[in-house]
Amino acid sequence: MDINLRHRIRARLLKAAQMVTLFIAMSIICIPGLWVVLNSFRPTVEIMAKPPVWIPNELNLDHYRAMFGGVGQGGVPVLQYFTNSLIISITSTLIAILVGMAGGYAFARYRFKGKGAIFIGLMLTRAVPGVALSLPLFIVMARTGLIDTHIGLIIVYVAMNVPFTIWLIDGFFRQVPRELAEAAEIDGCTRWQAFWKVEFPVARAGVASAGIFAFLTSWNEYALASQLTRSTFSKTMPVGLRDFTSEFTINWGGMCALAVLMIIPALILTFLVQKHLIAGLTFGGVKG
Amino acid sequence: MSRLKLPQWFVLLLPAIIILSAVVLIPLLLSLYSSFTPYRLTRPETLYKWIGTFNYEKAITNANFWAAFGRTVLLLTIALNVEMLLGLGLALLVNRVTWGQRGLRTLMMFPMMFSPVLVGFQFKFIFNDNVGLVNNALQSLGFSDVAIPWLVDANLAMFSIIFAEVWTSTSVFAILILAGLFAIPRDPLEAAKVDGCTPWQTFRHITLPYLMPFIYIALAIRSLDVARAYDIVQIMTNGGPARRTELIWTMIGRTGYVDAKMGYANAMGYISIFLAIFFTIYFFKKLNAARTELGMGG
Amino acid sequence: MAQVHLKNVSKSYGALEVVHGINLDIDHNEFVVLVGPSGCGKSTTLRMIAGLESITGGDVLIGENIVNDLPPRDRNISMVFQNYALYPHMTVGENLGFSLKIAGKSQDQIDAAVAEAAAILSLTEYLERKPGALSGGQRQRVAMGRAIVRHPDVFLFDEPLSNLDAKLRAQMRVEIKKLHQKIQTTIVYVTHDQVEAMTLADRIVIMRDGHIEQQGTPLEVFEAPANTFVATFIGSPPMNLLDGIVQQDGTLQLGGGVTLNVPQQYTAKTRPGQKVVLGFRADNLMPCGHSLPMEGESAEIEMTVVLSEPLGTETLLFGALAGQEVQAKMLNPRPVSNGERMMFNLDLTRVHLFDGESQKSLR
Ligand SMILES: Nc1ncnc2c1ncn2[C@@H]1O[C@H](COP(=O)(O)OP(=O)(O)OP(=O)(O)O)[C@@H](O)[C@H]1O
Ligand SMILES: [Mg+2]
Repeated sequence: MDINLRHRIRARLLKAAQMVTLFIAMSIICIPGLWVVLNSFRPTVEIMAKPPVWIPNELNLDHYRAMFGGVGQGGVPVLQYFTNSLIISITSTLIAILVGMAGGYAFARYRFKGKGAIFIGLMLTRAVPGVALSLPLFIVMARTGLIDTHIGLIIVYVAMNVPFTIWLIDGFFRQVPRELAEAAEIDGCTRWQAFWKVEFPVARAGVASAGIFAFLTSWNEYALASQLTRSTFSKTMPVGLRDFTSEFTINWGGMCALAVLMIIPALILTFLVQKHLIAGLTFGGVKG
Repeated sequence: MSRLKLPQWFVLLLPAIIILSAVVLIPLLLSLYSSFTPYRLTRPETLYKWIGTFNYEKAITNANFWAAFGRTVLLLTIALNVEMLLGLGLALLVNRVTWGQRGLRTLMMFPMMFSPVLVGFQFKFIFNDNVGLVNNALQSLGFSDVAIPWLVDANLAMFSIIFAEVWTSTSVFAILILAGLFAIPRDPLEAAKVDGCTPWQTFRHITLPYLMPFIYIALAIRSLDVARAYDIVQIMTNGGPARRTELIWTMIGRTGYVDAKMGYANAMGYISIFLAIFFTIYFFKKLNAARTELGMGG
Repeated sequence: MAQVHLKNVSKSYGALEVVHGINLDIDHNEFVVLVGPSGCGKSTTLRMIAGLESITGGDVLIGENIVNDLPPRDRNISMVFQNYALYPHMTVGENLGFSLKIAGKSQDQIDAAVAEAAAILSLTEYLERKPGALSGGQRQRVAMGRAIVRHPDVFLFDEPLSNLDAKLRAQMRVEIKKLHQKIQTTIVYVTHDQVEAMTLADRIVIMRDGHIEQQGTPLEVFEAPANTFVATFIGSPPMNLLDGIVQQDGTLQLGGGVTLNVPQQYTAKTRPGQKVVLGFRADNLMPCGHSLPMEGESAEIEMTVVLSEPLGTETLLFGALAGQEVQAKMLNPRPVSNGERMMFNLDLTRVHLFDGESQKSLR
C-alpha cells in the first residue's frame, strides 16, 4: 500500500517543482520587457533616484508627450522615424514575398539539377554578418547615390528577407498536395490559374507568416540601417533609438517610450501569426 | 521564333538570384577586391593600389584580432549551447502544462520580437551600475552595498552580453523544440515506459533522438543570423572598455567606419563570413544526418 | 505467475466518466479478449492496467499487489500497440533488445534473448534493418518480439492487427495463438473485431459505453447472449432481431400478420402482453429442402427473397419478415432469383427471447 503512496507523493512533488521552475523562467522572460514599459511612464527623476524607488509614486505620459512633441523639447522626430520604418518595412516585405513566393514555389514543385546546392547557396547569403556586408554596400550605395534613401534600404531588406521567405514558403507549398494543382489543370486551368486559384489559397497562411517574419526583420534591423542612413529623412526607429544617447548621458525614459512604440506592432503581429510560424519553420526544415 | 526558352524553375528563381547578386554577391566581390588594397574611404584613389595579401597578413599577425576572434567563437559556443539547453528545458516544462499553454507560448516568444538594438539598450539599462535594475535589486535586498560594474569588468561584461543574447534567442530554441515535442508520436514514448524506462531514460533514448532534427533546425536558423549579436554588443559596450569585450564584428565596424580603413576591415569581414558559413553548413549537415537517422530523409 | 484483478475501476476525464466501475478477474495464463464498439473504453481499460493512464477510482491488482500508482516500469508487463510504436532510430535488433538494455542486462544476455525472440517470430534476417524498411506484417512481428523478450507477467495487446490486410490478419491471428501456447502468459487483448475475439479468446469480455455487458467463453457468449447488444455484436452475420408481443393464447405476434408459438423453453418465462424481441441466427432459418434435419420444435415461415449472396458452399438470403430485414442461410444452394417466395424452417429450439424493455435475455 505505502509503495503506491510513495509514488503518488513523489509525482506531486515533481509537479510542484516543475511549476516553480516554469514560473521563475517566465518571470525572467517577462520582467526586462515590463520594466522598460514601466519606466516609459515614470518621470526621469524617479528612474534615476538613488536609493531606488520601487513603488512608483507617479505615472505620467510625459515621455510620450515629449516624443511626439517634435524636435523642440530636445525630442527626437519620432513620427518621422516611425513613418520611415513603416514605409521601408512594408514595401520591402511585399517585394520579398513576391520574390520569395516565386522562388519557394520553384523549390517545392520543380525538380532540377543542383537544387540542394542552390538552396544552400541562397541560405548562406543570409549568413553574411550585417556589419561585414555593410562595408562594401556602403561603398556601392555611396557610388550609386542610394545612400540615405528609402529605396536603398528597401532593396537591401528585400535581399535580406528573400532566403528565409523562400525557406518558409517552400515548406508550405510542399504541404499542398501536388495533385491539387494537377486536378485543376485537368479541369482546364492553365498552370498560372491553377496556382492562383488552388495552390495559393491553400498555402496562404504560410505566405502570411513569411510576410510577418520579413516585416519584423526589417522593422528591427539595425546593423545595416545604422550605416546606410544618415538623416531624419531615412532613419528608422532602431537607429533613432540612438538619438536618445548623448556623449555622457542617456535619456532612459524617452528611450523606453520609443521602445514601447517599436514593440507594440511587433507583438501584435507575432501574436497573430505564431501558430503558422512554428508550423512553417518546422515543415520547411524537418520534411526536407 | 528562335527565342531562348529558359526552364520555368529558373525564371521563377531569377528575381531572387538577381536581387541577391546585386545586394550580396557583387558587394562581396567588391569587398574581396578591396581587401587586397589599402582602400581608405577618405582617399578614393587608394582603391586602385594592389597590395596583395597584406591586409590578411596584418590581421593574422594582429594579437587583438585573434583575441576578438577567439572571444567571438567563445561567445557563440557558450551562447548557442546555453540557449539550446535552456530552450530545451523551457520547452519540456511548457509541454507539461495542460492549462493555459497557448498563453505561455505567446509569452515565450516575447523576447524574440525585440529588436536586437533594443535588447542592447534594455540590458545596458538593466545592468547599469548606477540606476540599473540588477544593482538596485541587489542593493535593496542587501546582497551587496557597492555598485557592481557589470559592463566595465571584463568577465562581468562578457557575462552581461551573453545574458542579453541568451535572453533574446532562447525562445527560438524553445519554440522550435516545443514544435518538435508536439510532433513526437505518443506510441513510442509509451512503449518505452512499458519497456521499463525511467522518465530520464525515456527522454534520453526516445525523446531526444526525435528532437535532434528540431534542435539542429534551430541551430541552423540561429547560425544564419548569429551576427545579430553585433547589435547587442555594439550598444552595450561597443567592444569596450579597452577592447575587453571586442568581438570580430565590433572590430570590423570600428576599423571600417571610425578608422576608415575599408580594405583592412573587409579582409577581417571575410574571415567573419567564413566563420558564419562554417557554423551554418556544419548545422545543416548535422540536420540531414539526424533526419536520415529517423528515416525522414528524402 | 500473475493474475490481474480490476476492482470497481473507473476512469473520468474531467467530468466525463468513460469507464464505470468495472470488475474483472483474469487468471494466470488466461487469454482474455476485450471487445466492443469503437469508443467503449477498451483501450482506456487496457492502458489503466498498463499504468499509462491514471485510474480515477477502484483498484488494479497484478499478482497480489495493488499497483494503482506504480509507473508502468514497475508492473512487469509488456504491451503491443496498434501502430507498432517501434523506435524508428533503432534497428530491429536494437528495438528487440531495448528493454533488456534498460534493465541493465549484459550484452551476451541481450543477444541471446534477441536471437531467441527473432527465431520464434522468424525475424532473424531483418535484425540489422531499421523499422522504416519493413512491411506492415514484419513491423507487427517486431512489436510482438519486443514484448516477448522480457518474459513479462502480463501481455497487453491493443488492436495489434487492425492495420494489416485481411489475409495477413488471419495469418497473424494464428501466430498469436501459437505464441500464447508456447510462452504461457496471461494475455489481455483488445479488439473491435469479433472474429478475432472468438478465435483467440479463452474468455471474451464484451464492453459497451464503459460497462461490461457480458463475459464468458466464446461459445457461451455466442450461444447464450445476455442481451440484444451482445447478440448482434457477436457472430457473423449478426443475429436477426424481430419485435413481438406475447398473446393470451401462448403465441407470439410479430407484426405483419406473422405469428409463432412461443418456444417451449420460454413459455414459463413470459407473460401475456409482454413486449419481447425474438432473436435467431441465419443458420437457424433455412429454406425447406435446403436445411439440416431439424429435431424438436420448428416453425414454417413464408418469405420473399430480396437479395441473395452466393458464398459457394452456402448462400446468404436476405428477406423481409414482419417488416424487418432478416438473413437466412441456404445449404446445398441452387440459384435463387430476387423476388422469389420460398418456405423457410425456423429452428425454435435455437431461438432467443429478450425482454422488450430491458433488452435482457429471458433465458
Ligand atoms: N484524453 C481524453 N479526454 C477525453 N476523453 C477521452 C480521452 N481519451 C479517450 N476519451 C474518451 O474515452 C472513451 C473511450 O476511449 P477508448 O480509447 O478507450 O475507446 P476504445 O474502446 O479503445 O475505442 P477504439 O476501438 O476506437 O480504439 C471515448 O469515448 C473517448 O472519446
Ligand atoms: Mg482503442
